[in-house]
Amino acid sequence: MSKEIRDLYEERLGRYQATIALEKTDRMPVATGSNYFAEVYSGNTNQETIYDSEKWLKAEEIFIRDFPEVDVLRNNRIWAPLYDAVGCKTYKLPGRDLPSKTQFQFVEEEYMKADEYDILINDPVEFMMDRFLPRVLGDMAEPGSTRCRMAFLKGGMAQMMMAQVMRNRSIYLQEKLGMPQPMTGAFVAPFDVLADAMRGLRGILLDIYRQPDKVLEACDVIVHEIAHFALSTADPLKRYPIFVPTHKACFLSPKQFETFYWPSFKKTLEILINAGYTVRAYLEGDWGHHWHHFLELPKGKLILDIDNQGDIFKAYETLGKHQCLAGGIPDSMFILGTPQEMKERVKLLCETVGKEGGFIINGGCNIPYDTKPENYRAMIDAIIEYGTYDSSYKCKPKVAEPGSVEVEALNKQRMVTPWEKKLEELGNIMGEEDLIRRPWEMLESMGYNWMWQWVM
Amino acid sequence: MSELAKALTDLEENKVYQLVDEKIKNGVSPLDIIAECNEGMVGVGNLFSSGEYFLSQLIFSAEIFKNIMQQLEPLMPKSDAGDSASKVIIGTVKGDIHDIGKNIVANLLRGSGFDVIDLGVDVSAEKFVETVRETGARVLGLSALLNFTYPEMKNVVDALTEAGLRDKVTVIIGGAPCNEQVREFTGADYYAEDAVTGVNICKKIYQ
Repeated sequence: MSKEIRDLYEERLGRYQATIALEKTDRMPVATGSNYFAEVYSGNTNQETIYDSEKWLKAEEIFIRDFPEVDVLRNNRIWAPLYDAVGCKTYKLPGRDLPSKTQFQFVEEEYMKADEYDILINDPVEFMMDRFLPRVLGDMAEPGSTRCRMAFLKGGMAQMMMAQVMRNRSIYLQEKLGMPQPMTGAFVAPFDVLADAMRGLRGILLDIYRQPDKVLEACDVIVHEIAHFALSTADPLKRYPIFVPTHKACFLSPKQFETFYWPSFKKTLEILINAGYTVRAYLEGDWGHHWHHFLELPKGKLILDIDNQGDIFKAYETLGKHQCLAGGIPDSMFILGTPQEMKERVKLLCETVGKEGGFIINGGCNIPYDTKPENYRAMIDAIIEYGTYDSSYKCKPKVAEPGSVEVEALNKQRMVTPWEKKLEELGNIMGEEDLIRRPWEMLESMGYNWMWQWVM
Repeated sequence: MSELAKALTDLEENKVYQLVDEKIKNGVSPLDIIAECNEGMVGVGNLFSSGEYFLSQLIFSAEIFKNIMQQLEPLMPKSDAGDSASKVIIGTVKGDIHDIGKNIVANLLRGSGFDVIDLGVDVSAEKFVETVRETGARVLGLSALLNFTYPEMKNVVDALTEAGLRDKVTVIIGGAPCNEQVREFTGADYYAEDAVTGVNICKKIYQ
């Protein structure tokens, strides 16, 4: 990496990290998490972006060339060949089930039955392997069949390929273009694990009335599964936040939120923070009745994206100066508005909620696919004009201790075949046990966490 | 408010079913039972409007109401009760396959006594136009979750104009990405910020 590119990378990352930590920066970062507009701007179809990693990267290169003020780009969890290899049913994908230029869409079904809570609670492995995965992954519909066994094999291989795609891309963006990531790794809140892919919204709402204790018990179990999953997908160098989209909190009353959603979500967030990470949470829908709870978490550890239905000014009143906030521009303004409207909106945000840092101007958790380029350009120009605090100041990236940290509140990683069992089978170990144990446990963990991605 | 209506408003699921069972046993007409339930659903809507209830409670109430209707359906006289009811067509526009918001509105409308023609998700403009023409419904609700649907909503409104039906039907848009700016762009008559607002607009139209 040339010095020039390294400086650029550090300047961008430092600006982003300092904003999250509520520290001084030279200017407000241009730091959307889900910049859906980026590849579309460069001429990609949505299908090309999720199927062809070369085209994805090429598109990003064009976007970065034209919008060099952007500080981070961008999250994309989906590499479609993995989804095809196992026949994942939870998404309709562009080019496969939808027209190539449409965005991917989540399909909610009841993949867990109302009477299966005890199995999930008492034996998550059995639940995932024998109930959930065969229902949610079409190629595994018949456990034990040749096709199913092949799907596991292909799924594991595709996972490694996807990890390679993501890693190569991250390194390329960093070393060739000086571009950091807005987040790396992801999870969903324990309640959403149940409410999205397992029970669905209808199912979970019936459950919180009909069997509330089971829902709570299940959430407590899921905390550890999902925290391990999040850590297994996170940036080992801890530079970037872990991503969590939140889906069903906006349907709940404050009391339901406090009872069913928050305790296990809070616990998961605490585990990740204690492990040395920051978290970027999309507060989808209107969180106005719930967001004060983020005051309970340590200061400067979260970026909270406020959705279009949330009131950015009220969010700032409650949470500003405690957690970094992002948002403030309605999605419709990117698509239907004018550069002048955009400029005025950004100016207003910079003069109010963005005045003292710890704030990122963004759409409602995203920049829409159909954004008019002139509106996006107007947003950036206005951020530079009105969101510069001290242009002589230089931010430096934070240095984190890499590697995993033991977190007391986190249960040990569950494994299908723990080392103790394997050791018993092996009998006497002739050489050094650790040399055998470590990779054994690493692969067990990888396999185990692989299962949990399908709840996303 | 009757005991049944109140139990429904309070979301006391088991009590509601028990009261309905008793009423059926005592020979109360299904239409009278439904009328009481409608009153209970109006109570739920009012609590939502006043900020005491949230979406989860709207959905749960509609779920209870749906179960009652399923129980009563076979007992209903095969009359033309449906024909005289106020018809509302609803659907998620083409390209978008999300139905949570649409279902909330559709169920609430049913709870308020409307005859709902639910066209499902990913509905084309032609299908909307055809259904307006065939049913003579005076309200059309367009739902969306994703913001790429703005041109499609406009497309539906334009198609109604082209078919000469625009002045016969009131178009309401709703869903997360909608607001006044979007309403103006699409040419719809109303933008409903939430489900209860949408139902109230329908009531006003059929007054």
